[in-house]
Amino acid sequence: MTLFHFGNCIALAYFPYFITYKCSGLSEYNAFWRCVQAGATYLFVQLCKMLFLATFFPTWEGGAGVYDFVGEFMKATVDLADLLGLHLVMSRNAGKGEYKIMVAAMGWATAELVMSRCIPLWVGARGIEFDWKYIQMSFDSNISLVHYIAMAAVVWMFTRYDLPKSFRLPVTVLLGLCVYKAFLMELFVHVFLLGSWTALLVKAVLTGSISLCSLFLFVTLVHSN
Amino acid sequence: MFEEASEVFDNMFKSSFPLTFIVFIPAVLILVSPLPAEAAHEFTVYRMQQYDLQGQPYGTRNAILNTEARTVEAEVLSRRCVIMRLVDFSYERYQKALRQSAGAVVIILPKNMSTMPQDIVQQFMELEPEMLATETIVPVYFALEDDELLSIYTQTLTSSSSQGSSSAAEVLIHTATANGFQMVTSGAQSKAVSDWAITSLEGRLAGTGGEDLPTIVLVAHYDSFGVAPWLSYGADSNGSGVSMLLELARLFSRLYTYKRTHAGYNLLFFVSGGGKFNYQGTKRWLEDNLDHTDSSLLQDNVAFVLCLDTLGNGDSLHLHVSKPPKEGTTQYTLLKELETVASSQYPEVKFSMVHKKINLADDTLAWEHERFGIRRLPAFTLSHLNSHREAQRSSIMDVRSVSPSSRHGAGEPPAGPYVDLRKLSRNTKLIAESLARVIYNLTEKGAPGDLQIFTEQMQVQEEQLSSVVDWLTAQPRAAQLVDKDSSVVSTLEYHLGRYLKDVRRHYVKADKRDPEFVFYDQLKQTMNAYRVKPAIFDLLLAVCIAAYLGVIYLAIQHFGVLYSVVRRITASKTKQH
Repeated sequence: MTLFHFGNCIALAYFPYFITYKCSGLSEYNAFWRCVQAGATYLFVQLCKMLFLATFFPTWEGGAGVYDFVGEFMKATVDLADLLGLHLVMSRNAGKGEYKIMVAAMGWATAELVMSRCIPLWVGARGIEFDWKYIQMSFDSNISLVHYIAMAAVVWMFTRYDLPKSFRLPVTVLLGLCVYKAFLMELFVHVFLLGSWTALLVKAVLTGSISLCSLFLFVTLVHSN
Repeated sequence: MFEEASEVFDNMFKSSFPLTFIVFIPAVLILVSPLPAEAAHEFTVYRMQQYDLQGQPYGTRNAILNTEARTVEAEVLSRRCVIMRLVDFSYERYQKALRQSAGAVVIILPKNMSTMPQDIVQQFMELEPEMLATETIVPVYFALEDDELLSIYTQTLTSSSSQGSSSAAEVLIHTATANGFQMVTSGAQSKAVSDWAITSLEGRLAGTGGEDLPTIVLVAHYDSFGVAPWLSYGADSNGSGVSMLLELARLFSRLYTYKRTHAGYNLLFFVSGGGKFNYQGTKRWLEDNLDHTDSSLLQDNVAFVLCLDTLGNGDSLHLHVSKPPKEGTTQYTLLKELETVASSQYPEVKFSMVHKKINLADDTLAWEHERFGIRRLPAFTLSHLNSHREAQRSSIMDVRSVSPSSRHGAGEPPAGPYVDLRKLSRNTKLIAESLARVIYNLTEKGAPGDLQIFTEQMQVQEEQLSSVVDWLTAQPRAAQLVDKDSSVVSTLEYHLGRYLKDVRRHYVKADKRDPEFVFYDQLKQTMNAYRVKPAIFDLLLAVCIAAYLGVIYLAIQHFGVLYSVVRRITASKTKQH
């Protein structure tokens, strides 16, 4: 609905990233180029995932209303590649754990923002027609930021050699939750027939709980030595 | 961060020129690209008539609109598109919208007219000519209702009627939650169509027995008229006249194929176009035949001209004349035969003659026979209507035909004018019998009044009438829509060609310097309804987003607090172990 609305959506989507970058002290470490590299890795991983999905998964032939649980579950499993990608980025960056996590997460999330949100917003939010979904998209990108930070933290913890045995299970569970979060969200929406704002709220709560758990585990790990 | 970013971009630009192209040009192209928009709803709208007749403009003058939608209850109507439903339509509301200089008017018609009560249909029919007579600058459109359009209408209604009466807080909440609609048409401004040719068709059956036979001319105009050209189907007026003409052509051509029944009269059939626009087709045809050719059937010996206009219903028949026929003439014979046949064979039909002098001072002529009367040819018009000013002659409500086989069990007649096929075939038979009595001079030869000629193999075929009327009402036949390549014209030509000889087309184009008629285009458009929010909403949203971002900023700044809290909790836990 005009450029002003587009500006609103972009501000809502992008400013938290900007603030996070500034306030997490990454600017002192000249991390901009590394974030761009992380973004490039994101692009590469998405490309591979798309090729894999297109080659090995048949198109869903069933009716429109039926939800293919098994098929969608399999597709979500491919998102494990995201974890591999994050691990790759983090392993190439030398430095403290927090630094690695933040760089990887920032680059990854920013790349996702640019790739999957900018164009719909540009094309859709600028038109005459108004729809709440653009504001929801921007909120969703904020939630994604938190989600990717949590995911990067969990991946980092998973690959630590000094991870205590008792932590293995929670970390694996959190890892699984991260990967299948999108699948779980779709499941909720389908089963409970949630409205779009309610779905957003559920997503925020889910991401918040995952990130809180991962924060707890991270702090315990880092400060238990 | 910006310094690092600028460093990176500097390197990128300095090092490789093609890279900048790849990055820059698409960005610029995307920035300046036009915007394809998705509409909440896209629907077809039909514009009100726009034409000039003899220099006088009629109807709406404008076609474009790009305005917000409101209903009549709203306080401010200027430069807005006023939406009305047919059930709520009244002339005062229409005038109110025009007086407040509304941007446009859109009238929503129900898909099925038969759901409308009788009085609303009647009222609308009376209003159609009035709406056309007042020249309006605002575009007036008609749309057929569907569910989405109805929901758009109800939403606009709730927002329009609650405008003036609420407090500031309510207005604020209202702006956040309500939906406004922007109506946009996709076409261009309307302009006059140049070189439009109105087509008419003629065909003949030659009589037997020497030269200089008297000629009988049968005429019916095939075009229809209504407040919106694309919605005027003209079932009774004049689909009934055309189907009757075709049936008479079939019957008499059958009679004329046998030597014994080949009569001494020439029969000339004329299907005229532009009838609703002051009979342009007939006018030019007469000029061409009487002024510009040396010999024509119309010049020598015309017994009479019978125009068929709106004969598909009703239990009365009126013979409209401009001069009462004198005794001893063939016209008088026709009058008498009609009376005889009506009284002896169809007592339920009330037949009468209506005498109306031609008034040349009027804007338009009343009936088609007046065109012939002006050229001193004896002519009548047969119609079940009493007066030429009846609203149903030029109404969009004249849509359907009903036959006994297709009528529902309830037996309720449709609300508007319609064609009753039983009555149409009865009228056809009546006219055919009377014409036969005139042609074969039956009364002089002593035939009784109830002698029926058209029976058994020669009977009037109701299925034929029914299929012609159904075909005619399947498409709008406004004169602006039927050009010389139209399927209506070619199908009529083919039909006439099956029964008549020398079937010819006749074209009328408006004179260049002083046009008798001017038609305009852009009569059918696609209208898009976009959901919009008022400008205040954007500002409100910006304020909310700024507040949210402020909260986020504070949260991130003080993230360390959360971190230390978590650390303390975990530290206390490990201390406990």
